[in-house]
Amino acid sequence: MKKGFITLTVNGDAHEVAVSSRHTLLDVLRGKLQLMGTKEGCTTGSCGVCTVNNARGEAVLSCLTPALEWDGQAVTTIEGLEKNGQLAPIQQAFIDYHAVQCGFCTPGVIMSAQAVLNLTPTPGEDDINDGLAGVICRCTGHIKVKEAIRHAGDYVAGRKA
Amino acid sequence: MLLPEHDFIKPRSLAEGLAVLRDAPPGVRLLGGGTDVVFNMRCRLMTPDTVLSLRDIPELQGVDVLPDGSLRLGAATRLTDLVADPVLRERYPALVKAFRAVASRHVRNMATLGGNLCLDTRCWFTNQTKEWRDAKGPCLKTGKDVCHAIQGSPICVALNNADSPPALIAVDATVTLASHRGERTLPLRDFYREDGIRHTVLEPDEVLTEVTIPPTRDRLVFLKETARQGMDFSYGTIAIRADGNGARATRLHIVLGSLTTAPRDLSTAGERLVALGLGDDGIDAACATIRDALGPLTNLYSPAAYKRELARTLLRKAIVELREMPA
Ligand SMILES: Cc1cc2nc3c(=O)[nH]c(=O)nc-3n(C[C@H](O)[C@H](O)[C@H](O)COP(=O)(O)OP(=O)(O)OC[C@H]3O[C@@H](n4cnc5c(N)ncnc54)[C@H](O)[C@@H]3O)c2cc1C
Ligand code: FES
Ligand code: FES
Repeated sequence: MKKGFITLTVNGDAHEVAVSSRHTLLDVLRGKLQLMGTKEGCTTGSCGVCTVNNARGEAVLSCLTPALEWDGQAVTTIEGLEKNGQLAPIQQAFIDYHAVQCGFCTPGVIMSAQAVLNLTPTPGEDDINDGLAGVICRCTGHIKVKEAIRHAGDYVAGRKA
Repeated sequence: MLLPEHDFIKPRSLAEGLAVLRDAPPGVRLLGGGTDVVFNMRCRLMTPDTVLSLRDIPELQGVDVLPDGSLRLGAATRLTDLVADPVLRERYPALVKAFRAVASRHVRNMATLGGNLCLDTRCWFTNQTKEWRDAKGPCLKTGKDVCHAIQGSPICVALNNADSPPALIAVDATVTLASHRGERTLPLRDFYREDGIRHTVLEPDEVLTEVTIPPTRDRLVFLKETARQGMDFSYGTIAIRADGNGARATRLHIVLGSLTTAPRDLSTAGERLVALGLGDDGIDAACATIRDALGPLTNLYSPAAYKRELARTLLRKAIVELREMPA
């Protein structure tokens, strides 16, 4: 098929989206669904700012995958982490541990961090490095980000427990 | 930039996929995880008429232990799932290391084994944006009769930059290729060709369906050298499999990756190590065979002299690691 409708569940909401074979998942999220949290950087798999989580909670690169491949699938984007006005633990940890500067990479870095936490709530150094190897931050570097990930477990529903 | 327009097909069974390949002309591109294909489509290095996704084909999934103890790895299994596989982790930690060496977790969450084995060769002059290539002019791979990497070269000398082939070749893995005409199984080492354009023996109507690893108790070591630690294509890789223990081996299989167009077997180096043992004398004798074994090299991604030195260093490090492995 060159063009057609796909069903894509984003942050729990099912959408019917008209896409063409020219679109990637990133094009659908930003261009069709106007979810601008997910950023477009290199579009070649090198920077990770387009990271979203798949249905298994793993980090995947939305720039590197054709939209038509996602028919019937579910993804979580940065917009989906906040629940009922409460930031997710990892989001609050990013604020408290100053893991954000310009913020351009932040959605991709947070979705990568969330994927690490989805695998294990108490990640070790190796888990964190493995989960962050695919994302690049121009401003903050990874030290504060790693600190935020290590402390995400201290938060319950967006507040420090 | 949007992807080039194409017909996207996602078959639900192998038979359905092979039927598409039977009927379709050569403009079909198989899609595993797409981490190389989508990249290349963006750069307009690939402009397929049809993209055939392998992700929903159940026959291409999973890891199975066969009755004779061999392992069968489905070609569309993701690298992440191979890295996490308990049987592979227990029996082949060095293979798992090779799978884990590929790119980043993000990429491995999408990338498949078949895609890594069939990864297109790479060249500093070709793997660039279209604007960059247009400024330099086309080459053998992009439609003209010149090679920018080696002046006057009659064939494309782009490199096989994939991380898992050397390790799988070292353990004598075989690959099964299926088409509507039937199936054939061949050693992975015979899958690769010394031609950067047609770098494998895969026919246009064939799909790599599975990889089989025969049972072995041999030692296996894999090393990868990169410029950066986090995520990077390799400058060079080495996989060595050996029987015996300590400094003694009667059979050694040494394979170098990322330095040449097809992964390169170092059989003479292996013979010297068998004859002299894995001590420092054996290593020196083996390293002395590198220049002849590698032959002429390109300066792609690193200078040829560096590549030779890197091959010797990888060989030395890998043998030391091998002889120090607990029996
Ligand atoms: C930022 C970045 C870093 C990378 N770093 C590395 C690295 O360090 N090491 C490395 O090895 N690779 C690296 N890669 C390349 C690539 O991501 C991996 O090689 C990956 O394993 C390719 O798998 P895939 O399933 O995504 O392949 P795809 O892109 O789907 O396919 C690759 C090729 O294989 C063919 N193919 C796929 N499946 C089959 C099949 N079953 N039968 C026949 N042909 C098939 C396709 O037609 C295509 O030609 C990197 C890529 C990116 C974007
Ligand atoms: S935009 Fe997807 S990895 Fe850079
Ligand atoms: S905060 Fe600026 S790129 Fe990461």
